[in-house]
Amino acid sequence: MSLLEVRNVDISYGKNLTVKKCSLELEKGEIMSIVGESGSGKTTVIRAVMGLLPGAGRVSAGSIAYDDMDLLKLTDKEWRDLRGHDISMIFQDSGAMMNQTRLIGDSYVEYIRTHEDISKEDAWAKGVEMIERMRLPDGDRIMRSYPFQLSGGQRQRVGIAMGMTYRPKLLLADEPTSALDVTTQAQIVRQFMELRDEYGTSIIIVTHNLGVAAYMGDKIVVMKRGEVVDRGEREYILHQSTNPYTKLLLDAVPTLGGKRYV
Amino acid sequence: MFDEKDLLIDARHVTRRFPTNDGRMLTACNDVNLKFYKGKTLGLVGESGCGKSTFMRFLVWLDSPTEGEILFHGKDITKMKGAELHENRQHIQMVFQDPSTSFNPKMKIKEIVCEPLLNFNRIGPSDMDAKARELLEMVELPGDFADRFPHNMSGGQRQRVAIARAIALEPEFIVMDEATSALDVSVQKTVIELITRLQREKNISIGFICHDLGLIESFAHQVAVMYLGNIVEVMPGEGLSDTCCHPYSRALLNSVFDVHMDFSKKIENIKGEPPSPLDLPPGCAFSNRCPDCKECCTTEKPKLKEIAPGHMVACHCCAG
Repeated sequence: MSLLEVRNVDISYGKNLTVKKCSLELEKGEIMSIVGESGSGKTTVIRAVMGLLPGAGRVSAGSIAYDDMDLLKLTDKEWRDLRGHDISMIFQDSGAMMNQTRLIGDSYVEYIRTHEDISKEDAWAKGVEMIERMRLPDGDRIMRSYPFQLSGGQRQRVGIAMGMTYRPKLLLADEPTSALDVTTQAQIVRQFMELRDEYGTSIIIVTHNLGVAAYMGDKIVVMKRGEVVDRGEREYILHQSTNPYTKLLLDAVPTLGGKRYV
Repeated sequence: MFDEKDLLIDARHVTRRFPTNDGRMLTACNDVNLKFYKGKTLGLVGESGCGKSTFMRFLVWLDSPTEGEILFHGKDITKMKGAELHENRQHIQMVFQDPSTSFNPKMKIKEIVCEPLLNFNRIGPSDMDAKARELLEMVELPGDFADRFPHNMSGGQRQRVAIARAIALEPEFIVMDEATSALDVSVQKTVIELITRLQREKNISIGFICHDLGLIESFAHQVAVMYLGNIVEVMPGEGLSDTCCHPYSRALLNSVFDVHMDFSKKIENIKGEPPSPLDLPPGCAFSNRCPDCKECCTTEKPKLKEIAPGHMVACHCCAG
């Protein structure tokens, strides 16, 4: 039994069918990378899993099962318990998901106290501990900062700390490193890998950076215009796949010591 | 490795300081010396906030340095004014990172690409249609796009229009500020192919800002690495991954993910984040994150010295 099973899902925004017949399967402790160009529907798919389709978006066909639960039939109350507890999401810029006019600590404490009956002081201490575990020195100072006072890499680590507070079984990451410098990106990628090794978290990472996707993913899914065009183990996608689109994407990645144009 | 008579732009001892609100000075560029040659690409790499855009903006008169001079054909462009400045502006053009914000959304594509030509009276309003078509075809877009608006186009198409606008005046030098980082990888590849083709045909020099060493290696003739306002290494673009020796350049190199790498390799990365440029460590700016830091690194600032032809590095640990 897989942890997450997405079967033949169609997703539409109003009358526009954005994602067609998408199926994914994720085992426990596995990392899956979804790659594709802008507008290929990769973010839409993981937002559907999280029940967070914006606006008029809805799943119009198919089923999404998580741990034997039908996610499409959950009530709001059930979603509130599940989101941020069993399934967490990390966004491209974690600073943007927080209230800019509140301290990070205040947002964090509020989040912890919606899931747990705990005093403010204990929630604060828990936040500090999680932030420090994500290798940010001086967690208390971070908690007393506003989102705009931190660098992009620090904000992203706070986002990961929040997402990992309840050791979710499933972590969804939407372009978590695209806004970061290459050196910071490498640090964050390393941290994701450690989450899997330490806690056995299953991760779906959506990215357009094929290098990151290949490094992290046990499985890689390639999407184009709302459809899954290729999928498989990393080795298969990188070396054996005959899909022309996969080959085109792989060929376009700049490699060190690779092709020179001048 | 470059012929001195092909020297186009020579930046000497360029320093830029910004005053902060509390009266301190932030040094964004510290004694930068770079040379740009005709028909060649110089790639400038570094993390956000290292001063690479600040430096490139001097070349297009969007800002001017506090100290130092930038010689273009032997004349200092930082001191140009009036008619001379106007005359010289047409020789140096720029392509910005995000084409959707560097165009006026209410202008048609033909007005965008022909505006520089109209400014310098190279063409009259009646020639616009034909000229726009010619320029668009040069960047491999259909000529019919001339009557579109920027919002009707994809990111890659818009970036091609930005390139068409930059080459309209047949400049000698183009600054490209992360010109491909907003694009998808397959589109990025075609844009790089376009840029290198135009460079060959028109003998244009390019100053390309980038933070992806894998990308810059594929088309730059020389690469300069910048860290906190200082140039730490300048080297030939070809074979960069073997020749680069500054610990910071190596760290950047180790941070590149590519599809042919060894996936079992543990990611080695430099610790922490760059210090605030207001509060630099004495000696080498990289000393507090450097794996090879020695005692002299914390006290004495390393100077840029040549260790091989065309390869300069500022590090106490890299000897020639």
